[in-house]
Amino acid sequence: MDSPHHGNGRGGRNDAGGGGPLRGVRVVEMGQLIAIPFAMKLLADMGAQVIRLESTGRLESYRSDSVYQNEIHGEFWNRGANFYEQNRNKLGITLDLSRPEGLELLRRLIAVSDVFAENFTPRVIRNFGLEYGDLRRIKPDIIMVSSTGYGFSGPWANFGATGPATEGASGLAFTTGYADGPPVMAEIPYVDYTAGEHTVFAVMAALMSRLKNGQGQFIDVSQTQAAAATIPEALLDFSANGRAPTRIGNADPAMAPHGCYPCAGDDRWIVIAVSDDAEWRALCRVLGQESWSTDGRYVGVTGRQRHKEDLDQMLGGATAQWEAHSLMSALQAAGVPAGAVLDSKDLLFDPHLRDRGFYEVVRHHPSTGMPPLPYASRPWKLSETPAVSPRAAPLMGEHNDFVLKNLLGLTADEVVRLEEEGIIGYAPTDPRPVQRPSLDEQVRQGRMLRYETNFQAQVAAAFPPPKEMAQ
Amino acid sequence: MPSALEGVSVLDLTHCIAGPYCTRLLAGFGADVLKVEPPGGERGRRMAPFFQDEPGPDASLPFAYLNVGKRSLTLNLKSEEGRDILRSLLSETDMLVENFAPRVMPSLGLDYPALKEIAPHLVMVSISNFGQTGPYRDYKATDIVEYAMGGLMYIFGAYDREPLKHAFNQAQFKAGTDAASAALMALYHQRMTGQGQHVDVSIQEAVASGLRDVVNNYTYTGAIRRRQPNHSGDMQRIRATADGFLLPNPGLGSGLNWDSYVEFLGLPELDDDRFRTPSARLVNAEELGRILDEFFIRQDKYEMFYDSHERRFIFGIIQSPEEALNDPQFAHRGYFEEVMHPEMGNLKFPGAPFIMESTPWQTGGAAPSVCQDNAEVLGGSLGLNAFQLTKLRAQGIV
Repeated sequence: MDSPHHGNGRGGRNDAGGGGPLRGVRVVEMGQLIAIPFAMKLLADMGAQVIRLESTGRLESYRSDSVYQNEIHGEFWNRGANFYEQNRNKLGITLDLSRPEGLELLRRLIAVSDVFAENFTPRVIRNFGLEYGDLRRIKPDIIMVSSTGYGFSGPWANFGATGPATEGASGLAFTTGYADGPPVMAEIPYVDYTAGEHTVFAVMAALMSRLKNGQGQFIDVSQTQAAAATIPEALLDFSANGRAPTRIGNADPAMAPHGCYPCAGDDRWIVIAVSDDAEWRALCRVLGQESWSTDGRYVGVTGRQRHKEDLDQMLGGATAQWEAHSLMSALQAAGVPAGAVLDSKDLLFDPHLRDRGFYEVVRHHPSTGMPPLPYASRPWKLSETPAVSPRAAPLMGEHNDFVLKNLLGLTADEVVRLEEEGIIGYAPTDPRPVQRPSLDEQVRQGRMLRYETNFQAQVAAAFPPPKEMAQ
Repeated sequence: MPSALEGVSVLDLTHCIAGPYCTRLLAGFGADVLKVEPPGGERGRRMAPFFQDEPGPDASLPFAYLNVGKRSLTLNLKSEEGRDILRSLLSETDMLVENFAPRVMPSLGLDYPALKEIAPHLVMVSISNFGQTGPYRDYKATDIVEYAMGGLMYIFGAYDREPLKHAFNQAQFKAGTDAASAALMALYHQRMTGQGQHVDVSIQEAVASGLRDVVNNYTYTGAIRRRQPNHSGDMQRIRATADGFLLPNPGLGSGLNWDSYVEFLGLPELDDDRFRTPSARLVNAEELGRILDEFFIRQDKYEMFYDSHERRFIFGIIQSPEEALNDPQFAHRGYFEEVMHPEMGNLKFPGAPFIMESTPWQTGGAAPSVCQDNAEVLGGSLGLNAFQLTKLRAQGIV
C-alpha cells in the first residue's frame, strides 16, 4: 500500500503484514447485503477481526445473484460478486440459530467479542433473544450496533427496507431527477452505503468511548436518518423558507453552465461545472468558441443561468467533437472543473486510481476456480497504520473449524458432531441460484452497455497478484 | 450524560461541506471543535439556500446546519503570526482537519511532516477531491465532477437520457463521513500508542468505494453496467401512484413468495409462470413493468405502503422534504431538532444520524458568527493580553 508520507517507519510498521489501527478488536457480524457487511468490511480492512455469521438454511442473495462468469453450477454460492465485494478480510462461520445449540454458540462467541453488528429487523433480533439487554448479561462491555431501515424503535421499526426504500423515505429520491420528470435513483442501493459509512463512524465513536470509561453500549442506526442528515439543503429550505424543492437534473443554482454533455463515441460523456467568468472564458477558449465569452448574454452567473438551455445546447454540440478524456485534460489544464463520466472499465483502469493503489488484488480460494481479482479498497489512507493485506471473503463455513476450536475451545469431535447435526455446514441446504439473462439479452435490455470476451486477459495484465501472494 | 468523544480536541480548518460535515459529526458526539476561519469567514458562509433568500455571512442555511456546536476563531494563515498562533494551539489539539486543495497546506509550511515535528501525537486529516497524490491531485472538482469520476454517474439515470447525479452534494457528505471514521481510527491508535499520523481522504474514492458489483460486473463477466434498462420491469423501480411515487418492492430475491404477492395486489394476470421466479421475471421484465405501472397509478401511496408492511412486503415510500419533516417515524425518534440562531431564529433540521444510547448526540449551540470566540481562545487558552489582541486585529491577523 503506498502511503503519501514519509513516516519514519516506527510504530504500526512492526505489525508484520500491516496490523491496522484496529488490531485486537473482535467483531461478530450477523449482517446481510450491504449496510452492515460494508461497514464491517471497512473495520476488517483496518485490522479488526470480523467474524461473519451466515445461515446455511437461508442463503444470502448476494452469494447467488451475480456469480463469476454467470455460471451457476457447482458451488456457485462461493463465486458471488456481491458477497466478495462486501466481505473482504472477514472470517466466515455458519450457525443454525433456529436450534438452541446454534444460538448458544453465538452467545458464547459474543461473550469473547467487542462488537456485535446486525441488520435484521428488531422482530428477528427479539425472537432470537439478541437484544442489547440480553447481550449485556453475557458480555457487560459489549458494543451492539443495529442498522435498520427506519430505526430500532418507533411505528416503522419493524418495516423491512432496502437501500432504495430509505432513499425514498429520507427525501433524497424525491429531490433527484431530470427537470419535470419523476424521481430517479441510482442503480445501486445507494443509501445502504450512506448508512454503512455512518455506522463505521458510530462504532469508532463507541470504541473511543469504551477506551475512556470501559463501557459498551447500544447503537441504533436508522438508515433513513443517516440519509436525511446529508440533504440539509432541501430540508432547511422547506423548514426555514417554506420552499418545496423541484427536480432540476444536473443543473446547479449557483453555477452555469453545469451539466453532463455528450462526447465522441458510444455513450461517452463529460461533466463541466463553471462557477465564474474566468472559468467560463477558459471553457470557451478550449472549445475554440471565443465569441461566446464576449457575448453579453453570457456574462456573469446570472446571465448564464438565464440562458442555460441555449448554453447547454451549444455546449453539447461542441463537446460532441471531443473524446471525453482529452477534453477533460484540456479543460483541467485551463482551470475548468470537468470530468469524464467514467464507466466501470474506465474506473478500473483509471491511471490516477492505479497510481494510488485504489483497487487491491485479492486471491480467491482454489476451489472457486476464480483467478485473483481487483476490488475497490477504501477512501482513506493512514500513513502509519495502513490496512491489512487483503484476503478474499470467506467460503461458506470456511472458518467454522478455526473459530469454534480456537476461540470457543471446542474439540475436533465436537465440531464433527455439530456438522453431523446440521448446526454448522458448508453449503446451503436449499441452493436456489438465480439464472441471469444472457449478456446479449442484458445488452438488449440496456442494463449493460456491452461486454468483452477477453476481459480476463485484460484484468490479469493490469492487476497481477502481489509478489508475496504468488504461489 | 457523558459524550463519546468528550476530551477530544479538534482544530477545524475546513470550509464548505466535506470538512465541516466531518467535524459536525465529531462535535455532535462531544468533541471540542474550534473552527479556524480566514478573516471575513470561510466560503461555506456563502452557500445557498439562504434564510429568506437574503445572502449574508450568518444567513446560509447549509452553513448553519454544518457548523452547529463549534466555536470560531479567525486567523490569517497567510501571515507568519497567524501560523504561529495555529502552531501554538497544536500542543493541546488531538486532531487537525482540513480540506484545502493539496498544494495549500505545504505552501503555508503546514504540511504533515512540519506539524509532526511540533506535535508528534497529532492526527492530521486531509480531505481533497482526488487525494494527496496521483496524476489528478490538482484537478478541480465540484460534486458533479466527483459523481462522474467516482463511477456513480454513468450508472445513474434513464435509459435514453444523459447520466444524472443526485441532487445537492452527496459526494461531499460521503467523504465527510468517511473522514470522521478514518479520523477516529487514527485517534484510536493515538490513544493506544501516543503516535499521530496523516489521514488522506479522497472524495473520488468515497464515491468509487460504494458501487456494489458495478466494477465486478466487468471483472466477473466482462460486461459494462449501464443506467436504467429500457423497460420498467425491475422490482426495485419507482412507480407513479395517483398521489405521488412509491417503491413497490415486494421482498428480497429468492425468498419472495410470488403467489402471496399476487394475491396481495389482487392482480390475477401476474399469476403466471412467466413471472413466478426471479429468473423468469428478469426475462419477462418488459411486460411485468407494464402491468405494474398500470396498477400502481391508481393507488394511494401511503395506504399501499402501510398495507404492504402489514403483509411483510417491504414497499418503500417516496417522501418530499415536507412529508419527511412530518413523518411519524422521525417524530417518534425525535430526529429533527431545533436550534435558536441569533440571526435566523429557530431553525429545524436533522439531528443525530444514529442513536448512541449511553453517550447521546448533543444538539449544541448555533453555528458561530465570524470570529465569535477570538477573545476567549486567544485570551483564555493562549493567554494573550488585550494589547496583544488589539495589535493582532490591527494587523489583520485575526
